[in-house]
Amino acid sequence: MEDDPTDFIMEPKVPLDQIPEEIPQVESKPQTFESQVEEAVKAQTIAATEPPKPMYVSAPAAVAGAAVAQIQKVQTQAAQAFRPLTNTVWSKLDRKATAVTEFTLRQYRTKNSTWVVLGIGVVFVAMILMFYGEAMSTGFDSVDNDGDSFDWDGDGYPTGQERIHGTNPWDENSHPDPELVAPDPPEKWIDEDGIDWDGDYSNPNQGYDDDGDCTGEGWVDSESFEIPYDQDTNGDGINCNVRYSMNSTTKTIYKINADPNVDEDPDDEEFLKESLHRAFVLGFGKIGFAFLIGIFVPLFLATGLIRDEMDRGTLHYIMGKPIARAEILAYRLLGYIALVWPYATVLILFTAIVTGFLAPSDSIFRFHDMSAWLGILLASWLMMLAYGTIFCTLGVISPKYGLWIAIGFGVWEFAMAMISLGAPNFPLTWLSISHWGIEIINCTSVLAYPDQSYLIEIANMNNDWGSGAALAGFYSPPSIVAGNPFASLLISIFVLILFTVFALFIGQSSLKRKELN
Amino acid sequence: MIPDLSQVGTGETKEWAPVAEAPHIMLDHVTKTYGSVMGLNDVSIAIKGGVTGILGQNGAGKSTLFKLIVGRLRPSSGNVHLFGTNPFKNPAPYSRIGYVSESEHLYDWMTGLDFVATLARLYGYTRDEAKAKALHVLDFVGLADVVNKEIGKYSKGMRQRVKIAHALVNDPDLIILDEPLAGCDPLARTTIMNVVRELGAMGRTVLVSSHILSEIERITEQIMILHNGRLLALGNLHAIRELLDQHPHRILLRTDDPRGLGTAFLPHKDVYGVRFPNNDELVVETNNLSSVHQSLPSICHESGIRVTAIENPDDNLESLLGYLIEGRS
Repeated sequence: MEDDPTDFIMEPKVPLDQIPEEIPQVESKPQTFESQVEEAVKAQTIAATEPPKPMYVSAPAAVAGAAVAQIQKVQTQAAQAFRPLTNTVWSKLDRKATAVTEFTLRQYRTKNSTWVVLGIGVVFVAMILMFYGEAMSTGFDSVDNDGDSFDWDGDGYPTGQERIHGTNPWDENSHPDPELVAPDPPEKWIDEDGIDWDGDYSNPNQGYDDDGDCTGEGWVDSESFEIPYDQDTNGDGINCNVRYSMNSTTKTIYKINADPNVDEDPDDEEFLKESLHRAFVLGFGKIGFAFLIGIFVPLFLATGLIRDEMDRGTLHYIMGKPIARAEILAYRLLGYIALVWPYATVLILFTAIVTGFLAPSDSIFRFHDMSAWLGILLASWLMMLAYGTIFCTLGVISPKYGLWIAIGFGVWEFAMAMISLGAPNFPLTWLSISHWGIEIINCTSVLAYPDQSYLIEIANMNNDWGSGAALAGFYSPPSIVAGNPFASLLISIFVLILFTVFALFIGQSSLKRKELN
Repeated sequence: MIPDLSQVGTGETKEWAPVAEAPHIMLDHVTKTYGSVMGLNDVSIAIKGGVTGILGQNGAGKSTLFKLIVGRLRPSSGNVHLFGTNPFKNPAPYSRIGYVSESEHLYDWMTGLDFVATLARLYGYTRDEAKAKALHVLDFVGLADVVNKEIGKYSKGMRQRVKIAHALVNDPDLIILDEPLAGCDPLARTTIMNVVRELGAMGRTVLVSSHILSEIERITEQIMILHNGRLLALGNLHAIRELLDQHPHRILLRTDDPRGLGTAFLPHKDVYGVRFPNNDELVVETNNLSSVHQSLPSICHESGIRVTAIENPDDNLESLLGYLIEGRS
């Protein structure tokens, strides 16, 4: 009873003669349900008080009269139950919330630090995007992974062409007749054996030898010494195929074993650009947006939400109003959220659109990454909320050292984020905000990139690409519930909200007990 | 008058109820310490109605007392009741009070109207209601023509008045003003004093603190003197002064002929001595200040000696405190 802040909400008490003329006067009484009922009841009262006229009332009329009276009674009760929303306790609380939120937003607008912090974030994103655009617009030189574009014997025919025609690629006098077969340009024998994968993780037997240098398909000399002696080096009983080994729980590929000369010369440029793009989305999403912007913006914008007001003595103005201290903290945070969530949304949306146009894609815009970007957005929202609440609470608990504790906490979070990238199952990281934010991105990126583990293994198989590290570095499959990204996502969201509520609770009870000088 | 706690009961009411007779403020043996520093020492008072001036030097505990009443601070021992509830735990009675803190800081980027209207919305008013009320109180404190000016551009007196305005926006029953006259120019001072007197005339309970006796004297006669955290005296200012009548008072007169004027004063029954500190100064020593003050004009007039200034060197807080402390010890 004592703590209920609402039972004192009173009607405005300004005497009538003091109400200034500025008060908007109601022109005419609006025809609400309530007023209609009121009038009906009034009419009925007048009718009841008038002297009864002697008249003969038929039985049906009496019944009808009673029914009307009953309806009016019910309507009156209904009108009382559904008072105009503007006068309910809820909407009065709501007015306080909007007032404090609006005030907080306007206060942010007047502070230089807000613009500096948000501006640095924009510059940071713009710079990273410039690097990304640069990388996407420069082509990679495709590598001839199997060397068959090279003319080893100098007779003008590339090795691959000589193999088909059954001539000796190591002997300059042995080559196809130039009058019948013109020499191929070397480019034709680069990237000629792409990776053939149908996307079905459960199918272990895949791969197709496009250039025939394993099967000897289409070759003039089917007994050529260039055809591998052992066509089943991966030992799965099928010649010239690629065997995929899969973890059935996490549905990820952990090993790819190809027979010799199968899928050995894919399009490096396409592969590298795809790898780079994914590494960018996941890396920048996790470290840039979720972590760096997610922690630095709250550090500078949320720590002082209450603390600065206490220091300056201006908290007295808000606190002198019939508003619970816990409410002040919550509404101040609401104002902070109203600033930083749109900010994060705009930045992430902008990045998503720019990269969507620049990324490798079959169409003008690449929609592939959208679920990854949505995950990044969700993670950055929740992390900004959690960090903001924690930093604001630290500012309340210790106005003097709060910022330093917050910076120490940031270092811990950074360490945990780094560990989470490499070892998401390391239990200590579960105590950090960054781990759960990164986990959210892991969960949604599985939807965006279902073939990520396959690409990583391909990159590892062709270890000369060096893209395996980039692909694997910022990617982990959901680890909370292995193989179930949806459950992992829900748990991660729940845990982040739990952290937030916990921090909010501590902050509120600390502020409640705080003496303000 | 300020009723003593014993006169109004122990105030054990736990749940708040708008009982008309209940004192607005009740302090029950309240002590507040900051570490080893004593802020307020065993103060018991009950206040309802009227304008009460809280007098005390800097550090006497005036702000501590106010902050205890409005629930910013928690008493180290004893109980504070604001409209029957514990103000530290329950913000509900805040809807009936207006508190002007001593803090100099304001939101300089807001206009006066913005500031008052935004805070008014915390009472649950709609935007329009809040704006109308804000305009009304800003007019009441005499800021009607600068409502749309940024507070950062306000003068010191305007800043004090806008602080008062925000505290009046809910038409409170109890108004607490912590040093409202500090640093104001004479015009603002007069306006604020008028505002406070008017609030008193409207039947509100007003607590106003100051360390300058003459300021308080111009606002109210009902005072409360704090010294080193202790409640030194409370009651009517004149009654307190009369208590001190056994103490000698001095009246300083500046004149061209102090000796001539001194001779004219000596026959007065309450004057027991005259001194001449300078060639143009006369000090009249008396046991009854008001009686001498009453006959002072006629004496001066009859003697025909020109008097350029009259001062009461003892009529300040320091000497009043001095007498009171002396009287206690």
